[in-house]
Amino acid sequence: MTTNPAQPTPQVQPGGTIDPGDLAVAAAQVEEVETGPTWWQVIWSSKKARFGLILLGAYILMAILAPVLAPYAADNLTFNPIEMPSSAHPLGTTTQGADILSQLIWGSRVSLIVGLFGGLFATAVALLIGLVSGYLEGTWVDDVLSFFTNVALVVPVLPLIITLMAYSEVRSIWFTVLIIGIISWAGPARAKRAQIITLRNRDFVTAAKFAGDNTLTIIFREILPQMTSLVAAGFFGAATGAIGAEAGLSFLGLGNTESVSWGTMLYQAQLQGALAQGLWIWLLVPGLVLSGLILALTLINFGIDLISNPLLREDA
Amino acid sequence: MAAPLLEVKNLTVRYSPKLHAPLNAVEDVSFAIAPGEFVGLIGESGSGKSTLANAILRLTERPGKIAAGQILFDGLDITTMSQDALRPYRWRDISTVFQSSMNALNPVTHVEDQFRDAIELHSKLRGDQVVDRIKELFDLVMIDHRFITAYPHELSGGMKQRVNLALALANDPKFVLLDEPTTGLDVVVQRSILENVRRLQREQGFAVLFISHDIGTVLDMSDRILIMYAGRIVEEHDTRDLLRDPLHPYSKGLLGSYADPRAETVRITYVPGRPPDLSREHQGCLFAPRCPEKIERCLTVEPQPLAIAASDGATGAGQATEAIDTGRPRVACHVAHLQREAPDTPGLPAPTKRFLGPEFVKSVDETAAAVTNEVFLEVKDVYKTFRTRRGFRVESNEVITGVSFELRRGMVTALVGQSGSGKSTIARMITGVDRPTSGEIVFHSKGGPLNVGRLGVGQLTRYRKFVQMVFQDPYSSLNPNKTLHYILSRPLKNHRRMSGEALRKEIDNLLERVALTPPGRYRGRYGYELSGGQRQRVVIARALAAEPELIIADEPISSLDVSIRAEILELLHRLVQDSDVGILYITHDLLSARMLADEVIVLNDGRIVERGEALDVIRDPEDEYTRRLLEAIPNPFADMPA
Repeated sequence: MTTNPAQPTPQVQPGGTIDPGDLAVAAAQVEEVETGPTWWQVIWSSKKARFGLILLGAYILMAILAPVLAPYAADNLTFNPIEMPSSAHPLGTTTQGADILSQLIWGSRVSLIVGLFGGLFATAVALLIGLVSGYLEGTWVDDVLSFFTNVALVVPVLPLIITLMAYSEVRSIWFTVLIIGIISWAGPARAKRAQIITLRNRDFVTAAKFAGDNTLTIIFREILPQMTSLVAAGFFGAATGAIGAEAGLSFLGLGNTESVSWGTMLYQAQLQGALAQGLWIWLLVPGLVLSGLILALTLINFGIDLISNPLLREDA
Repeated sequence: MAAPLLEVKNLTVRYSPKLHAPLNAVEDVSFAIAPGEFVGLIGESGSGKSTLANAILRLTERPGKIAAGQILFDGLDITTMSQDALRPYRWRDISTVFQSSMNALNPVTHVEDQFRDAIELHSKLRGDQVVDRIKELFDLVMIDHRFITAYPHELSGGMKQRVNLALALANDPKFVLLDEPTTGLDVVVQRSILENVRRLQREQGFAVLFISHDIGTVLDMSDRILIMYAGRIVEEHDTRDLLRDPLHPYSKGLLGSYADPRAETVRITYVPGRPPDLSREHQGCLFAPRCPEKIERCLTVEPQPLAIAASDGATGAGQATEAIDTGRPRVACHVAHLQREAPDTPGLPAPTKRFLGPEFVKSVDETAAAVTNEVFLEVKDVYKTFRTRRGFRVESNEVITGVSFELRRGMVTALVGQSGSGKSTIARMITGVDRPTSGEIVFHSKGGPLNVGRLGVGQLTRYRKFVQMVFQDPYSSLNPNKTLHYILSRPLKNHRRMSGEALRKEIDNLLERVALTPPGRYRGRYGYELSGGQRQRVVIARALAAEPELIIADEPISSLDVSIRAEILELLHRLVQDSDVGILYITHDLLSARMLADEVIVLNDGRIVERGEALDVIRDPEDEYTRRLLEAIPNPFADMPA
């Protein structure tokens, strides 16, 4: 028979026993186990990511506080056109007589909204399709979903957008978000499908099957939390892409013409021949703030890399 | 001892990661290896043995750093030598076989080219001379010459390991460091590689530091043994003397994990608790919280690894010395020293050779009763063929050939075989993951018979209420993002429709059954906060949650530290005693099969080669294959008088 671990065998000499109190000490160590740094401590520990977060914070503040910060309304065209920078117009005015600084500040709202929702939308679609098709790899469900993913990957994007935009009745910011979502989910979906294929044969997934969990519970409650850093990195990547795409579409004149964004500023500047008129600031600043925002998001992704790969954390 | 080839003096390796508390993974370690000597280094997971190995090879990587001490190789101080200055010595004088050497060969170049690189860099051999040398090396490790031009993926795991060994010997090194060279290999293959190593070492006369977590394999091979615990060397002893008279209680605990499975009564001990967290402040002996022999002094003064005074008392009695090269055993234990030098000290426990901690005992008369229980799972003439399509051809591979057996309620049946014998395939078919190609598996549940091979998806989920699994690796079978409460609640909700207060009570009840008490302390924990043994208890609790009739335990102890394996065996044993759950215990290890099982089925190449009551099979194996498996069990006491 077995002996109870807490009671020593009878032939043990005095002093040669394990005091149950000591076992409690050994067991109590579980109380104090170091849990490691939290995810935000990890991201914050990276100088690059810290700079990116601060920069992104500045952009968000700028967008929120636009009514306070901007000297005038963005669509106020009542000033003298083509004015050089002055105290009344720190960045000058456009050919149509709008204040460039005000347009720049108000325009941040569009970029951030498009980045946030375009990124979310693309990530959500990519997650749903990527996870389900990866988990069910080799079945007809995967065949169908992979087929659509492949189609979305190879369809030439620009003609598609131009066609969609040209035939659409509405030209709102939400329509832009929708279009960007549609064109950008396929790549991330592929990445997530590949990731889940490596995760779905882990023992804890098999264990969840034995525990009677259904497929969706397993995918979203057991597997998805393992990929949060991948999903987060995917979101920031998609947001970066969406911001760039919005600016690109607007620059081509395919964006939302009613509101001012950095893309429409560039479009107007290009259209009016800003350089020829000596208004290089008009062309330069929207590009500059745009690259600043994209830089911030990219730097944050360096921090997210540290979560999934602890070895990188030790780099100086 | 002759002038040492390798001398490590007071070596400390410190890890200072940016986001964690710093710790000394290796602290104040000193030892020496003479030319041609075979030294074993034993330590369990987290003891610092691989850190020490990397430091000796000067491969320590950030955030690790050699913080103090010296490494002398052949009289040369290599502690701070630059990587460029080290290059001429590497692979010519010092070589190694890495822990993960399954991946140590470059997959995109021929084996020949990898040898050529190593040989041409350090010798004047060129062209066909190199090929001749490679042939010689392949002969040494007994691999056919045609594999010289193969790619690594064309070799089996065991062959890769032999190739790595041949590569390490390519330039006749003086010293070879083997860091767990057979981890992950099959027991029988492991055995043959280690015998190969030992033979080559005798013939070629190189010195070896052989690192392993498994004291059984090291004992068979080494002249001298170092035992490491919590970054320190706690005992250094000649192998034969270590067996006869182990000094440190931890060494006794490690030795106690082995026994002869053929004996009337088999006792194996385990070391309760877990290794200390080195990033914390500590006082006294680091083993004290787990030690059955400790005295007052152990809690306050950290013992140093000092030589035991000569037992004949000729040299100044009671004088422990710090000299390394006296050839006398060293031990870092107050009790062991006092017992030999001042046996009259009050409160000192009497000397013992056994570990006085908890033990798991199995005697002969226990098995008899179970064999008459009711049959509840029948495997009838099952065949399983895997088909793979290669271009236009379809290759079929028969992995299970006409296997029939039955399982009985409240009884443990061990399915024993080496890797590739088909034991996991049988488990997959019994759990309904795979279907048999022909033959049938019938499960007689309390609600009537079920043909397991023909269950639909929904039926399969219901079937799993009756059949649960305990996995091999508790580190991968617990989701790191979930609390124990969540993990245990799933089977209770899904299979037993429990919720609210009843659910919470049942979770506490399960935690208590697997001795994770008090449950309140464990409910909200995550898997990564627990030790390996505690995790495996959670996995067992999860399997019990569905109230299954059959538990399939797939090598449940093979990824645990040797010193705690008996703990899990004992728990499984108790579960069978307390309820009428049946266990199919899958293993390659006949010792654990003897401890747990009533009946043993030996599987080789998809066929049952032997079957019978556990003790009969182990004592009197009829099949050649069973005998080979028995020989592969490390048994340090085999040639010791009883």
